[in-house]
Amino acid sequence: MNVVMALCQKEWRIGLDTPQGYVVSIAFLLASGFFFGSSLFLNGQADMRHWFAVLPLLYIFFIPAMSMRLLADELHDGTYELLATMPTRTIDIVLGKYLSLLGHITFLLVLTGLYPLTLSLLGNLDSGTVMASFLGAWLLAALFAAIGLFASSLTSHAMIAYIVGLILLLVVFLMTQAAPTLPIFMQDWIVMLGPINHYQNMMRGVVSLADVMLFIGLTVIFLSLSWFALVRRRWR
Amino acid sequence: MIKAEHLTRMYGNRFAVNDLSFEVKRGEVMGLLGPNGAGKSTTMKMLTCFLPPSSGDASIDGLSLAESIKVRRLVGYLPEHAPSYHDLDVEAYLQFTGKMHGIPSATRKDKIGEMARACGLEQVLYRRIEELSKGYRQRVGLAASMLHDPQCLILDEPTTGLDPNQIIEIRHLIRRLGEQKTVLLSSHILPEVEAVCDRMMIIDKGELQALGTSDELSKQAQGGAFVLATVKGDANVLLTHLQTTLSDITIVNQETLPDGHTQIEISHPEPDCNLAEQLFLAAVAKDVVLLEIRNAQASLEDVFRELTGGKT
Repeated sequence: MNVVMALCQKEWRIGLDTPQGYVVSIAFLLASGFFFGSSLFLNGQADMRHWFAVLPLLYIFFIPAMSMRLLADELHDGTYELLATMPTRTIDIVLGKYLSLLGHITFLLVLTGLYPLTLSLLGNLDSGTVMASFLGAWLLAALFAAIGLFASSLTSHAMIAYIVGLILLLVVFLMTQAAPTLPIFMQDWIVMLGPINHYQNMMRGVVSLADVMLFIGLTVIFLSLSWFALVRRRWR
Repeated sequence: MIKAEHLTRMYGNRFAVNDLSFEVKRGEVMGLLGPNGAGKSTTMKMLTCFLPPSSGDASIDGLSLAESIKVRRLVGYLPEHAPSYHDLDVEAYLQFTGKMHGIPSATRKDKIGEMARACGLEQVLYRRIEELSKGYRQRVGLAASMLHDPQCLILDEPTTGLDPNQIIEIRHLIRRLGEQKTVLLSSHILPEVEAVCDRMMIIDKGELQALGTSDELSKQAQGGAFVLATVKGDANVLLTHLQTTLSDITIVNQETLPDGHTQIEISHPEPDCNLAEQLFLAAVAKDVVLLEIRNAQASLEDVFRELTGGKT
């Protein structure tokens, strides 16, 4: 566990506490603020449904930007060889990287907690729905972070990692959008497994164990895939 | 301490390292020599548990590579080009390395100070690694590889890209470490290996070509005694007499110099036949003056070329 913490701390110093890290964070907050403000002033209602609906799109562009360098840069600079020859298991490396990313995203989400606070001053906010939605937003971010990390484990070029991550997340997002045009049996699958569908369930204020388990399950799968991509690299 | 047995690694269907067996004793500095692409780095990557061998095994202090976490605790590794996190300062990087190796926080600070002193990093401890010269980065890598006080150091081309002064400093450092630790270092600079290492091995195309001290390798390559002399007077009389006392002598070269002296090179297949002594006695018997006489040795460069060159 110390190893995981040490890695986390290092990522924070070289990934987040740097100009690039600040640029990504500020851009995310500006974009999310814009969507929050625009829906507030257009609808004039103390409700965050519109903002939560746009949030996955913001994730699609921003999460790969936060995750792209995590493993790709290590592979590119040869520092992965250092990490892998320290007394650490590969899974510790994956977890350390993942937790630093999740910490970054959680921090940004906590900052957006200002929006419901402002709203509750202006009008009568359904706090239960907002809390369930935030939980959903956090779980979705946790899954997208795992997908972004997986993209970063596949290549030694950060730019390629960004594009692969973007494409994977777009597929996940568009799957739900395109569902009505697909054959019935595929629609059933998407409703059952599509992360966005489950996120929408939670946006309605309903938190079911099935939703939570789906997010956790998919996150674990993508973390395992990242692990596998790293291990396989050494056997090739 | 380090023992490799039939170590083999394939990339696709090409052998990078093929059936390599050797042993490095405790406290020994072993040089790994070979042309580019000979498999030096691959060998080191296997010994540090970065790459799993395709077949064969190696052990560090009796622990098989399969017990990789334990092995990694015993080994300090400096990969080629000394990679490190350029965005960190030296102190933060060493802190990180220390934490990854599980050095308790109470002793970590002291350890870092100690290593910084040993590697001459005190001046740059709070500078970002990105700003440092290649020589300093190499030293940072070396300090990081030794931070957890490993018994065994594996250094992949520790002096490439350094200027002559830095090379000498790093060599001194390695020599000093070699007194307490087992060191395996790779290089394609021969004088360096000769200066630093107790023994060396030469590999080519992934296969072991020779292993021994530099003297042993030179003798082995030369395959006999070899003497060079300058003679004042009649060289032919001398050589005829010498051939009667020692059979099997080969006259490699005989050449008259511009000043009238003769330079001769003679060899004998038996390395321990006291060739120079016999030549001297022959000269005394025949009243010929020898101006110069020396035992010639194949240089390490000759050995290296003979073992690795020309065979494509």
